Amino acid sequence: MAAAGPLVALAIGLVAFVLGLGGVAGNTWTVAVPWLVPLGGLELTLDPLAGLFLALVGGVALPASVFALGSTGRAGRGALAYPVFVASMCVVPLAANTMTFVMAWELMSLASYFLVLHEREERASVRAAWVYAVMTHAGLACLLAGMLLMGAWTGSPRFADWRVAAPALGAAARSVAFVLLAAGFAGKAGVIPLHVWLPLAHPAAPSHVSALMSGVMIKLGVYGLLRAGLDWLGVGPAWWGVAVLLAGTVSSVIGVLYALVDHDLKRLLAFSSIENVGIILIGAGAGMLYHGAGLEGLALLALAAALYHTINHAAFKTLLFLGAGAVVHATGTRNMEGMGGLIKRMPWTAACFLVGSAAIAALPPLNGFVSEWLTFVALLQNTRIAQPILNLTFTLGIAGLALTSGLAMACFVKAFGITFLALPRSDAAARAHEAPPVMRTAMVALAVACVALGLGATLVVPALVSVAGALTGNRTPVAVGDWLTLGVSGGFGTLSTLAIAAALGAALALPLIALRLAGAARGRRPYETWGCGRMLQTSRMEYTATAFADPFRRVFDFFYRPEKRLDIEFHPGARYFVQRIEYANPTRSIFDDWLYRPAIDALRVVARRARAIQSGSANVYLAYILAALILLLVLA
Amino acid sequence: MTTAANLLAFLGLTATLLLVWRQSWPARLHLFAVQSALLAVLAGAVGIFAGKWALLGVGAVVLVVKAWMIPRLLWRIGAGVPVRPVAPGRSSGIPLLVAGVLVVAAYVIMLPVNAATELPTEGGIPLAFAMALIGLYLCVTGHDAFGHTLGFLVFENGIFALAILATYGLPSIVEAGVFLDVLVVVLIMEGVVAQVRREHASTEEERLRELRG
Repeated sequence: MAAAGPLVALAIGLVAFVLGLGGVAGNTWTVAVPWLVPLGGLELTLDPLAGLFLALVGGVALPASVFALGSTGRAGRGALAYPVFVASMCVVPLAANTMTFVMAWELMSLASYFLVLHEREERASVRAAWVYAVMTHAGLACLLAGMLLMGAWTGSPRFADWRVAAPALGAAARSVAFVLLAAGFAGKAGVIPLHVWLPLAHPAAPSHVSALMSGVMIKLGVYGLLRAGLDWLGVGPAWWGVAVLLAGTVSSVIGVLYALVDHDLKRLLAFSSIENVGIILIGAGAGMLYHGAGLEGLALLALAAALYHTINHAAFKTLLFLGAGAVVHATGTRNMEGMGGLIKRMPWTAACFLVGSAAIAALPPLNGFVSEWLTFVALLQNTRIAQPILNLTFTLGIAGLALTSGLAMACFVKAFGITFLALPRSDAAARAHEAPPVMRTAMVALAVACVALGLGATLVVPALVSVAGALTGNRTPVAVGDWLTLGVSGGFGTLSTLAIAAALGAALALPLIALRLAGAARGRRPYETWGCGRMLQTSRMEYTATAFADPFRRVFDFFYRPEKRLDIEFHPGARYFVQRIEYANPTRSIFDDWLYRPAIDALRVVARRARAIQSGSANVYLAYILAALILLLVLA
Repeated sequence: MTTAANLLAFLGLTATLLLVWRQSWPARLHLFAVQSALLAVLAGAVGIFAGKWALLGVGAVVLVVKAWMIPRLLWRIGAGVPVRPVAPGRSSGIPLLVAGVLVVAAYVIMLPVNAATELPTEGGIPLAFAMALIGLYLCVTGHDAFGHTLGFLVFENGIFALAILATYGLPSIVEAGVFLDVLVVVLIMEGVVAQVRREHASTEEERLRELRG
């Protein structure tokens, strides 16, 4: 019975994947059921962009559901919410009018809320779900406001009608709609500073759900941003693109900075999702700017880079979350300081996690490298726009992206190294066991996808360029190299992942062959590991996650604003003997301290004032009704 | 028809004002029954003059439900309560004054409606609306569950009169639903009052102030 939910989701995912690929290939259709829901009826439209995201939902739901089949958690919990979550995510990109979209969006939010509330006995989970519910509904309020305004101005709840009517609207009206829609979508995408729910909700949910939330749900925020900024509202003023690009830059840098110092494996991955959404938005913002400036070729390149990174992030982040799930399943903790040495106990998981880490750290020839390279190539050609202020924006984006790439590398060295290498740091880690075969299947499939998306870049990029072309209305074919090499913007940049892979393989293989040919001694010589001259090596002598992150904490001191708490307990007899030292060095969130806490405090003050009308007397409450009625009648 | 409608609406409003004035609950209950009976006659009269025979049935239902069944239920709610409020110092002067203001307000609010319609019954519309407003006012100023329930019922009677005068009755399915709702409200209130009385030995509103969040 517990397997019913994942099995249903598996079936939905399969159908979505096939339909979505059809949409990407240009097989578009519309289904309308006007009587089913009020205000416009149910209407679904598959176009290339919707197809891409539908395939993404399906493509992530498949391994996540397979993984769920193997996990033995609280069986039964979320058995209904999980397939509903997957199904509603499939409907979001297909929705063709306001009512359909909002219903699917809200269903997705509610289902994921219940999934976040999985461990409802834990206070942290309840708080995470609460913050998530508040943030997601604040976003929904923005979305609804924007969509209803657009509906009122264009006279239609259908997105296709917006597309036609939007260019005739005033610039101010379109900007108001864009700000509202973008705020709503950015909240779901986890753009800083609307990200606060993400590092709480992702670790609280079961791992296959975290994978779906991180792999696809936040991408639907990106989907909405692309739709709003490029499709529904027509070509906007340049500041839309600047805003998206800068928001992406800030999110990527700050996201990776937080990820770097976090020791909760799943929260680290959650912060890294914020970073990757930032990278996607850098590409999307650049695409919007190029599109606005009339440089269609570059717009397609930047958008294709953003879409590519969307797919890639879905692949490797799902893989990493599933890997983290297997680790948490095996060790019973999410704290990296309690892990270590898992590569010997869980070789399959370790290998898959390594592939995911290398991909997310953008190492060639894996998929993360290709999309970041494309983003760089798109950004670097900004000199073709002759506006200094826009060039400055692009420069900030390039600098941010470069910093992010470097820090992400360090972050995943830490994530993999502390978790899987060295000696076990706890008994649970020492007794860890490999994940069951079903879970391993899901992870291996995703690892293969990461490699394939990297090596097959010459096949993927043309498809994405055509999707981006359908979005911006540019159907002219763009040459993106041949089957071996990507060549973009008329030879501005070329990349061949296949050649890199061949070179790397040769670099590994050639010395071995050369040694063999030179007649080097064969066979093994077993010997002790070199222990730096120490006689005894215990896990307490090892590098910890805190130690690894400490240099970064010092360099970015102004951002983390760490507190130092040193608690020393002396011997009652003599102060020269120390009984216990406790050292804690927690970082503080500037967003909590400077943005959310003042906002919440202000809300409390207003609420306390408003309590004056809550007198406790039923007569007074009834009098409010009477007064409101008479007031309305007199004013009407 | 105009004369009959105006007269009946006027009598209904008079009954409502008397309801505001009287303090003893059996008397108020009788006044409510009288008001309901007047409305039943109004429904019948409008039905005959306008040729809408369904309204005759509605009038009969009003007579049974509102003039007989609900007063009986309310009698059960009130049973055991002193006939007049125990607390001293409550006069009817100010409530009557407010009721007067509400009648004026009803006329003012209904001015545009009267200007727009050409119905023979339009003269009674502000009176019926005043009845509804005064009912809501009774609901607001009620000191116990009985007072609130009575106020709600008068409010509902006012709405009913408004419907009869302005549109010659609502579709019968709506009428049926409304009657059922009112009956259910009274039944629920009976249960609630019994429960409150068991807990607090009184249905005075003052006692419920402790229920603040």
